[in-house]
Amino acid sequence: MSQPDLPGQPATEERLLRERLQRSGYLVDEDLATTVWLASALQRPLLIEGDAGVGKTALATALAKSHSEQGATLVRLQCFEGLDMAQAAYEWNYGRQLMAIRLSDAGQSGAAKVREADVFSREYLLERPLLRAISQTGPCVLLIDEIDRADEAFEAFLLEVLADYQITVPEIGTLRATHIPQVILTSNGTRELSDALRRRCLYHYLDYPTLAREIAIVKSALPEADTRLVEDAVQFVQRLRREDLAKIPGIAETLDWVRALFHLRHVTLPEDMSAVLGTLGCLLKTREDRFMMGADRLRQLVEGRRSVGVAEKGAGQTQAVA
Amino acid sequence: MNDTPATAPSERLAGFAALLREHGLSVGVAEQQAMLQAAVRFGPLHERSLQAAWRAIACHSHREWKLWPDVYERFWHPDKLRGGVKVSGQTRASHNLRQSVQALHDRMSEPQDTASLPGAHQNSTHTAGDRPAVSPNEQDAASSRAQGGASRTEALHQRDGQMWMPQELSALQSLARQITAKLQPRNTRRWRVALRGPRLDLRQTLRRSVGWGGELMQPAWKVKRQEPPRLFILADVSRSMESHAALFLRVARAFALEAQARVFVFHTRLAEVTPLMQRDTPVIQEKVNAVTAGFGGGTRIAASLQDFTRHEARVQLNRGSRVWVFSDGFDTDEPDRLAAALQALRARGARITWFHPTVQIPAAAALQRARGSIERFVPLASLADLAAARAVLQ
Repeated sequence: MSQPDLPGQPATEERLLRERLQRSGYLVDEDLATTVWLASALQRPLLIEGDAGVGKTALATALAKSHSEQGATLVRLQCFEGLDMAQAAYEWNYGRQLMAIRLSDAGQSGAAKVREADVFSREYLLERPLLRAISQTGPCVLLIDEIDRADEAFEAFLLEVLADYQITVPEIGTLRATHIPQVILTSNGTRELSDALRRRCLYHYLDYPTLAREIAIVKSALPEADTRLVEDAVQFVQRLRREDLAKIPGIAETLDWVRALFHLRHVTLPEDMSAVLGTLGCLLKTREDRFMMGADRLRQLVEGRRSVGVAEKGAGQTQAVA
Repeated sequence: MNDTPATAPSERLAGFAALLREHGLSVGVAEQQAMLQAAVRFGPLHERSLQAAWRAIACHSHREWKLWPDVYERFWHPDKLRGGVKVSGQTRASHNLRQSVQALHDRMSEPQDTASLPGAHQNSTHTAGDRPAVSPNEQDAASSRAQGGASRTEALHQRDGQMWMPQELSALQSLARQITAKLQPRNTRRWRVALRGPRLDLRQTLRRSVGWGGELMQPAWKVKRQEPPRLFILADVSRSMESHAALFLRVARAFALEAQARVFVFHTRLAEVTPLMQRDTPVIQEKVNAVTAGFGGGTRIAASLQDFTRHEARVQLNRGSRVWVFSDGFDTDEPDRLAAALQALRARGARITWFHPTVQIPAAAALQRARGSIERFVPLASLADLAAARAVLQ
């Protein structure tokens, strides 16, 4: 079911992309690499959904970094409630326009009278992230972060940019991208995005990494940490994620925790639960979650028992009989 | 891929796209073109990459993302399906309604072993829903204490009188609109710019004045930003609720359209049906009816609620979210588990209203123990009940 990778083939390009992202510090799985490559090949925006802390934003930054030899820039638009066009796309530089008109009025006798078309030109336009992205002359990654935090009306405005990579300024006309940027949109799913927006994008749902992948990520970020520490800590976090937590720890939290344990000179998970409790703030970010994780519960998780199940009870009884 | 008669790739792809559409995925011409482009680029030998590419093109939401592997296997590798069913000839699913609903059944009915659990079949006396759901005026004051649980009524699809008249649908939609308008929005600490408002937005006013050379020509006002409450409806479609499920889903659909409610159905598992609810076609109507038919095997309310809280709506639940559960409360899970599940849901800030088809609050032990977490009980067996609920739903 496989054929040798040839230069210019999607499989080769995909592998190269994976390697570039890895060099930029982002370990990407095969499916996501395919999707990122496809988004680039089809020149379509990529919408990535997933829980907070699974590496959605990091992908965009790593992507920009991986193209840094070609001078790629990362343009980031952080969305929030009330974000409007003036903050996201462009705004007229009224101050500069007024200055130009006043100077013209005060007029040196030889100076030509300023015309309306003069002050409504590209020169007087303040570029905000979207316009800046489509104005780039080289490779560019446009990150529209947490689109679910923006208002629905803003989504409608984005459609033109995402579909045609252009922005229409009524006074000037349509400004088209000279170099199509690679657009990554991220969403935590706190509200439903419109179908129109979704249909303009390729979609990828980024889940928490598997055990092996998370170990690889932590090892790659913290190569100096002991392997046993990394493996034990990641296993613990993976078990912790199955608990009923208000805020499930993401990869960034795992990295913070392993970093903390490493700086405390641990080479494996400490036997003493108070030492684990002391660093648990790196993983658990709400009072309820901290309250739920007592020393006993932690010990169970460290030892790999989520709860004392029937099988374990049965095993215990069998041992006792034996 | 499987051995199937040679057909043009685009034709096979069109068949696959049709199957995806039957499962609620929005796969139009643009998506098919992109899928074809991807197929040309990857070729048939890189199936994993091709599948990842198609998934990125065809899926537009997490629900569809989760659905993908099953639909993909169903079409391209039918031999791998459970039970090793061999499909020859055209593997595209027909437009048979039964088959299209089967996918939902399959997903929901995997742990079927709960049918024999205690409480799965509770005998009952008359339930409020035994009255025709479409006859609001026939609501009689039943003297006997309604117990809910398994209904003595025959299966929904075998009953007459389940057809809704246009005026009744219109009345339901109107009720949903009125109730939605009454749902109190959540006040936030933020302000938004408005044409008129109690406060002058000085910063915005000054910003606007720049365009007029500093003259305050266009004042900007601001008002408190309010967020409409998020509404989640969880309808019990287990066998015991079969006679009420049609009404429940009609009501849920009305609120999906009016209040953008997310709608889930459950018996032993939870499944989201919001996309089915938001489209108004006869086929969808038929599907909505079909969804309610033929489920069996107990009701795992607690497990379904836990799944809802921890996975399906985890990031969307916030203070003031309304969760409406349409069920008789008879649970095959342990009684304490329902109390814990509702408490966890309540801890996320959700306000829980329990709609029961019985005249009085169901006597189910699980529900009785969980009463502390439920804000309100509302009988719902007819449009008249919903009309009466207008006064209490806020």
